[in-house]
Amino acid sequence: MSEKSAEQVLADSEYKYGFVTDVEADTIPMGLNEDIIRMLSEKKGEPEWMLEWRLKAYRRWLKMKEPRWANLDFPPIDFQALRYYSAPKKRAEAEIDPELQKTFERLGIPLHERNRLEGVAVDAVFDSVSVATTHKEMLKEKGVIFCSFSEAIREHPDLVKKYMGTVVPYTDNFYAALNAAVFSDGSFCYIPKGVRCPIELSTYFRINAMETGQFERTLIVAEDDSYVSYLEGCTAPLRDRNQLHAAVVELIAMDNAQIKYATVQNWYAGDKEGKGGIYNFVTKRGHCRGRHSKISWTQVEAGSAITWKYPGCVLEGDHSVGEFYSVALTNNKMQADTGTKMIHIGNHTRSTIVSKGISAGESNNTYRSLLQILPDAKHCRNHTQCDSMLIGPLCKANTFPNIEAENGSAVLEHEATTSRISEEQLFYLKCRGIKEEDAVSLVVNGFCKEVLKQLPLEFAVEAIKLLEMKLDKSVG
Amino acid sequence: MAVGLEQEVKNEAFVAGFDEAASRALAGESAVPALRELREVRFAEYRAVPLPTRRMEEWRRTDPARFPFERMKRLPTIPRGACAPHAWDDLFDVIVSVEDGAFDIRDRSGVLEGGQVLVAPLEQALREHADRVKPFLEKRARAEAPDKFEALGDAFWNAGFFIHVAPGVELERGVLLRYRQSGAGGILIPRVIVAVGERSRAVLVESMESPDGVELMSVVSREFHVAEGAKLQSTTLRAWGDRTVHLAGDWARLSRDARLEWITLNFGGRLTKVRFGSDGAEPGANAELDGLYFASGEQHVDQKTLQVHSSPDTYSRLLYKGVAKDKAHSVYQGQIVARPGAIRVDAYQRNNNLVLNDGARADSMPGLQIDADDLKCSHGSTVGNLDEDELFYLRCRGIDEASARKALIRGFFEDVAGRIPHECVREVVHSQVDAKIG
Repeated sequence: MSEKSAEQVLADSEYKYGFVTDVEADTIPMGLNEDIIRMLSEKKGEPEWMLEWRLKAYRRWLKMKEPRWANLDFPPIDFQALRYYSAPKKRAEAEIDPELQKTFERLGIPLHERNRLEGVAVDAVFDSVSVATTHKEMLKEKGVIFCSFSEAIREHPDLVKKYMGTVVPYTDNFYAALNAAVFSDGSFCYIPKGVRCPIELSTYFRINAMETGQFERTLIVAEDDSYVSYLEGCTAPLRDRNQLHAAVVELIAMDNAQIKYATVQNWYAGDKEGKGGIYNFVTKRGHCRGRHSKISWTQVEAGSAITWKYPGCVLEGDHSVGEFYSVALTNNKMQADTGTKMIHIGNHTRSTIVSKGISAGESNNTYRSLLQILPDAKHCRNHTQCDSMLIGPLCKANTFPNIEAENGSAVLEHEATTSRISEEQLFYLKCRGIKEEDAVSLVVNGFCKEVLKQLPLEFAVEAIKLLEMKLDKSVG
Repeated sequence: MAVGLEQEVKNEAFVAGFDEAASRALAGESAVPALRELREVRFAEYRAVPLPTRRMEEWRRTDPARFPFERMKRLPTIPRGACAPHAWDDLFDVIVSVEDGAFDIRDRSGVLEGGQVLVAPLEQALREHADRVKPFLEKRARAEAPDKFEALGDAFWNAGFFIHVAPGVELERGVLLRYRQSGAGGILIPRVIVAVGERSRAVLVESMESPDGVELMSVVSREFHVAEGAKLQSTTLRAWGDRTVHLAGDWARLSRDARLEWITLNFGGRLTKVRFGSDGAEPGANAELDGLYFASGEQHVDQKTLQVHSSPDTYSRLLYKGVAKDKAHSVYQGQIVARPGAIRVDAYQRNNNLVLNDGARADSMPGLQIDADDLKCSHGSTVGNLDEDELFYLRCRGIDEASARKALIRGFFEDVAGRIPHECVREVVHSQVDAKIG
């Protein structure tokens, strides 16, 4: 796995990432029970405490009911018909595929420009395991730990034990419990006190095997006065069957620490008829534990048959800041129910929410959020801007914010709009000789600008391309 | 559509005291067969609706179990009787009073004589004007299926009225509906059907009151039909006493180019859960919806509004402003719904809240549910305390803090209060606000 993988978040409307990598895989039998979990844990060579934790989560999961409250429509998931572990046997082979090169060319990114991404350390997760982590040595010098989750369990058990499950406990929800029981890999980052992580950290997730669920777990801990910027990208092959991706991401920011977390999600979204595609059911939460800490979520959700996630912040430390910037694009028969949760516990905590939803085709795009000011949280501030753009007569856009203010000193603002892509703007651009498709992408870019500018430059460029290609042929 | 928490349907389908026997007893109070039939139909509908639970999104913040039906008694059908005159009587054409177990209809300007305007109890309307009332019993103003309490109101009403304005008639001063209840323990269930004919204009003011310290309940269900080119101006003032529990479900259906101006004022009551929707059912329909609420002490006010657009080229604008003080809890849930095909819709919804102290709570859930493109729907919502700078400005000019706060809160209400067409209602709003600021 090399640096170029960060660029792999790109795809086009025909989903160039739909190829299957032909590698020999090491798998375990289908289905889910305690023996499977023991087998999975053993394969990964995990210590006893980890297995115990998994089993506790599994027993809890058995007692939980699958939630159905979201504005989503999907058939029941047979959790016994999934394979919970699949790993390539020859790790070095993962992802190096000539088709990727073609894709880059088509996207107009000359390969020599990959050098730009020199400043990114990548952890590549292929199906159930992490295949490679780059720039490790350099990071080590700074005291930054960046490795796969399995490695962290082996090498840094104390840190894992101390932080894992403290932001998203396995009791949190149905999919978080399932993830805790069967998670296979993911990334672990630890930024020690006073360190500003010199390069971007990145994880690239790839689902390859058939009938495999991907359950990764990411944990980022930023100690006092530290800073880290983290990116994740995801793709999967074209398959007729739906595949499940249920991840858990936990972020912890101590005093004055700052975590920036960016996602460009481009899982396979199914074909035009809505056949196949990934179910992306993810629990992501950041915990601002320290004073003046800051957690910022940026997401570009352009893939998945179904996206169901609410990256949130628990603002516990006084003066802590939570941010959520999101672009969610749905096309064809995709469904998205996404948004955020901001829980204000500390005094003077602030949060900003900017959400841009774009629905095209026959898709259903829902923004849902919770903004909660607890009774003892004084002088909290929130601003929410939530816009939806409709392209085509058959798409749906919904907005369901929940605002709960239990303290008199809070100042909260929420604004939302839903409208069709402006005919006037398109006309104006077309008058100037700009093709309709280019005009649409210009207008969409402008619409998403506030969010895209939060992304690191390379990612922003690619996210724009991604949006353009996803919308290709959806106008006219 | 599954919005919100998983819905769990309970098997026991009756609200305490509102079962089949109660329905039969109520039907037996009338000698009009059409009414008995109607009650039967409505009871069947009511029976089929599941009881709400806290697991339902709409009821998450107001536990349906808090409504003290089991402690209360259903009142028998309210008979005609004498009601005391009221200072407002001179300001309206027709006054309908429901007061302590009797109702009275007074025609101050003779509008009822020509037959152009009909204001009658539902029973009498069914008996004497079946042709006029029947269409509005068959065609519902509701754009959505009723919830349990709305269905209860439809089936078990004990004070039903039908107001019909013939096409082309201008009812200038309009109808005043006053509910005043002072006996403890009773459940008053008014049901009002208003039909405004083509190109007509009507004004309706409803005032609800009860003394403080008396525990009683009211369940209101209303349906307004505004025909083509007609205009209805409606003001609902809820000034119940501090121990009254109130439930309401209101719907207005707007035909082509119809206009509705509806102002809702929620001040009284211990526990209030109201639900209200307008349906732009035909092109050109135009709904202006305004509301004020002030929850103080231990009041709980939960309001849900629905701006439904089931037809293209419809317009709605909503402004709800409220204050929460002391230990009060206010809830605003709003939904703009654009049905498939409802293009060129223009809808706006705004909810502003002042939370005056810690311990008071305001929840705001504005929402958009859009199934069509080529439209413009937006909402805005704010929650905050009084602006420190504004307070400082006033105090710099020698105004003491209490007066400054009072002025700012009154000012906060003024953009809606100023739209209330009746001076007398505005005065009540001002005095209620002043009393609540304390």
